[in-house]
Formats: sequence, structure tokens, C-alpha cells
Amino acid sequence: MKPKWFIVIGLWLAMALATWAAGQERLNGHHSTSGSNAAPAASSSRPGLRGDARTRLEGQKRFEANCGRCHMSPRKFPPRMMATIIRHMRVRATLTDEDMHLILEFMTE
Amino acid sequence: MSAHYCNYRVEALPGQCIETVRPVRSIGLRRLCRLLAATVSLALVCLSGLAAQTQESNSTKPIPVLTGGSGFITTFDGGDAHLGPIVAPVLLVPFGDRWLVESRATFETDLARLPGSDAFRGKVAKEIDYLQLNYIASPFLTITAGRFLTPFGTFNERLYPVWIRNLQADPLILPIGIGPSNAGTGGMVRGGFPVGPEVTLNYAAYFSAASTVDRFNSDRFAGGRFGFFLPRVRLEMGASFQHLLQGERSNAFGFHFVWQPPPVPVDVRAEYARFSRGSGYWIESAYRLAQSRVWRNALRHTQVVGRVQQFFVGAQADDSLPAVNTTQVEGGLNYYFLDGLRATASYGRQFTAVENKNVWTVGITYRFAFPLGPGGGK
Repeated sequence: MKPKWFIVIGLWLAMALATWAAGQERLNGHHSTSGSNAAPAASSSRPGLRGDARTRLEGQKRFEANCGRCHMSPRKFPPRMMATIIRHMRVRATLTDEDMHLILEFMTE
Repeated sequence: MSAHYCNYRVEALPGQCIETVRPVRSIGLRRLCRLLAATVSLALVCLSGLAAQTQESNSTKPIPVLTGGSGFITTFDGGDAHLGPIVAPVLLVPFGDRWLVESRATFETDLARLPGSDAFRGKVAKEIDYLQLNYIASPFLTITAGRFLTPFGTFNERLYPVWIRNLQADPLILPIGIGPSNAGTGGMVRGGFPVGPEVTLNYAAYFSAASTVDRFNSDRFAGGRFGFFLPRVRLEMGASFQHLLQGERSNAFGFHFVWQPPPVPVDVRAEYARFSRGSGYWIESAYRLAQSRVWRNALRHTQVVGRVQQFFVGAQADDSLPAVNTTQVEGGLNYYFLDGLRATASYGRQFTAVENKNVWTVGITYRFAFPLGPGGGK
């Protein structure tokens, strides 16, 4: 293997590790709150609504903006199926972490 | 090591190589097995750490799912009828909080009349479109290993399934930048994250090894794609780049654009791609007649689609692309009966220096999803 490939691979690994380390704390924060994590992100948009309603509204907005970019709205699936499908779509459609949690919340309400 | 090591790219017959082109390394079955073994080992090591991760509650713990699309598309291409049944199941197997194995296989047939016969005949083509292991390393990063759909432009990764695409005919430029089987074999990092209050960035960077293994063939290339999405105006713009690490070692690049203006149910999509063997673009618009004031019940399930595309031949020919400069105009109609069940029809006119011809399609598509574990029912 040529030296330049070591440099390229090294840079990729460094970037991947840095990104992983930066996101670790945030990801753990999401898991520890078990799905209710999305409410703070959504709370700033409509101050008159309760937390759940805000989350639902924001989830619907994210759902329409992200999922609707490629396909028509599907029906809602059972929560455990939806948790798998949203993980698939996170990878396939490069959804952000926040979008994924808000859409999951909306689709499993 | 000597399972298959072709020093030179152009192969006249299997096992024979012409010594005129730059060397290329190809992985054979043994090397592919080693790669898969390494991937599985890495997965097992990482899976052992899953116990330390926070588990989700049972009510939202993901279960394996079998989903996918199927369809029966009849195409009249310049007067010749082709019947095309297709099934493309997608298997999703999640592990822990951060792992997902996903795979899609495609079974399809192009049934056509043989000369002098009225019967339609054809063979079932079987492909493994992707078989990949994903690890969500952080909110910003997902690491993928295995066989993956090449993220060049958006059509191959996002719009390819029959139940998603608005028009059933492939765009003329689809083969540019995606490899011989629409997929790469290797590794990829990808993700999406907000870069401002109203902007998110999505990216993918990948490396693919050359593979000659049956149903897992791929070229040796590296590339990336990024896009900016503005959720408020529902606009995404992005670019793709790829460098071929074998043969002519050419570069390919492209741009994509998606816009869904929020007040009206319209999709506008466009892509441009260019490489040494050609370039082209397509622009597609689809309008759902949801706001119609007449025949509302029927029309709100109806979608009207239009697409214009052009392809310009490059310095060298490519088997997967048109041989001459081509312009194609298409119009279509989709009717959504139920969630996932759709009737589709389109008419297109293709213009080339050699001939002009009509291309008709009519068919039905269906998207399915089944749980493969307990707790998947209502």
C-alpha cells in the first residue's frame, strides 16, 4: 500500500473518531431520556402548546419535510416495527438524530 | 490469494486479459470471504459491548422487519411489448441501540416475445442490491460495511424502488457513477446533522473494492456526496463526486436538486451527471391533485408527472448508456388506491439521430411491510 493511502485512511479514522467522540455524550443523553428527548428541540416553535402536542406537531413537520421528499406518506406501523423502519431511514435518507427521534415520536403516538 | 487476480482490466473472455490498460486489483471469493469475516469479527467485538449501552423500553424496542416493493410493469418500447414482474424484498435486522443489518434482493423478469412466437419468455434475474451492516456511532456518523448502493446523486439510493419512483423508466443518466451493479463493496461513512437553525447537512463518503464475485460484482472506486437541506422551504441541493481507481481512472461528478414548495403538493427533482463517457440531466415534476375542487374524491388520489431528460455521448462508448445523443420527454399518471398500492401509466417520446420512438408503460406497484418478531402487531 502506498504511503498516501495511509495518510488518507489515517485522516478518515481521525475524523471518524473525533465525530464519534463529539456525538457520544449527545447520543447517551437521547437514550437516557427514552424518547422524550425531542421535546426541548420542539418547544421553541409554538409556545402556546403543551410539550406532547409540540413534539407531535414538530414530528409531523419533520415527517412531511423529510419522508415526503421521496415518497408518499405511509400509514403508521406498530411501534416496534416503526423503530426498525426509522433506523433504516436514518441510514438510507441520512436523517439527523433529532429528526429521527421526532418522527419516531410522531409515528408511534 | 490466487483465486482471481487479474492484472489488466479489459477481459476478452473470463480469465483472459488484454495487456493494454492500467493494472487493476480485483478481489476474488477468498478475499471477499476474508473481508466479510473481518466485518463479522468487528461486529461481534462491538456487539459484546452492547450490554453496556442503554436499552430502549420493550414497547419501542425494534424488531426485524421484512418490507419492500413489488410490481408488474408492462412496457411498450418502440412497439415491442415487455412484461416485467418484479419483487424486491428488504430485510431489516436491528441489534441493540445502534446496529442494523439491511439487505435488499431483487427478482425480476423481462418477458418478451421471441421472433415467430406469440408466447412471452424470459429468465428470472436475481440480484442482491445491498447487504450492509450499519453502526450508528454518533448522532453525526453512521459507519457502513458490506455491499451498499452507491450514493451518487439521489435516484439510485432513494428513488429506485418501483413503489417510490414516479415514472417507471430509469433516467438515462442513472448508470453514471454507480458502478456495474448499482452498488459498491467496501465501507462507507455517512450521516446528517444541523449546521444552522434552518439548514441540515447530509453526507456520505465511501470506498469500494473491485469484485468479480457473482452477484457481488463492483468496481474499485472512491467518492462522496453531500447535500444541504432547508426544511422550512423543503429544498435540498447537493453534489456527488467519484474517482474510478481502475481502468481509465476517470472522475465523475453530479448535482442534485429537490424542492417541494410547502403550499402546493408539487415535487420538483433534477439531477445532472457527467463523466468521460457521457453527460446528461433529468428534470421531473409531479403534482398531486389534492387541491382540486372538482371530482375531489377521485382526483386527490391522482398524481400527474412530467419529465424531460437529455443524454450526450462522451468520448468513449458505454454499454449501459445510450449509444447516441438522446432526448426524452415523458408524461405519466399515478393513482393511489390504498397506502402502498398504486396504478401507474406513462407515455414518453424518445428522440435520437438514429430513430424516434414511443415508450409506453402501464402497471401496478405495491409496498409491503411485515414484522418478523413478537410485538409487531397492532
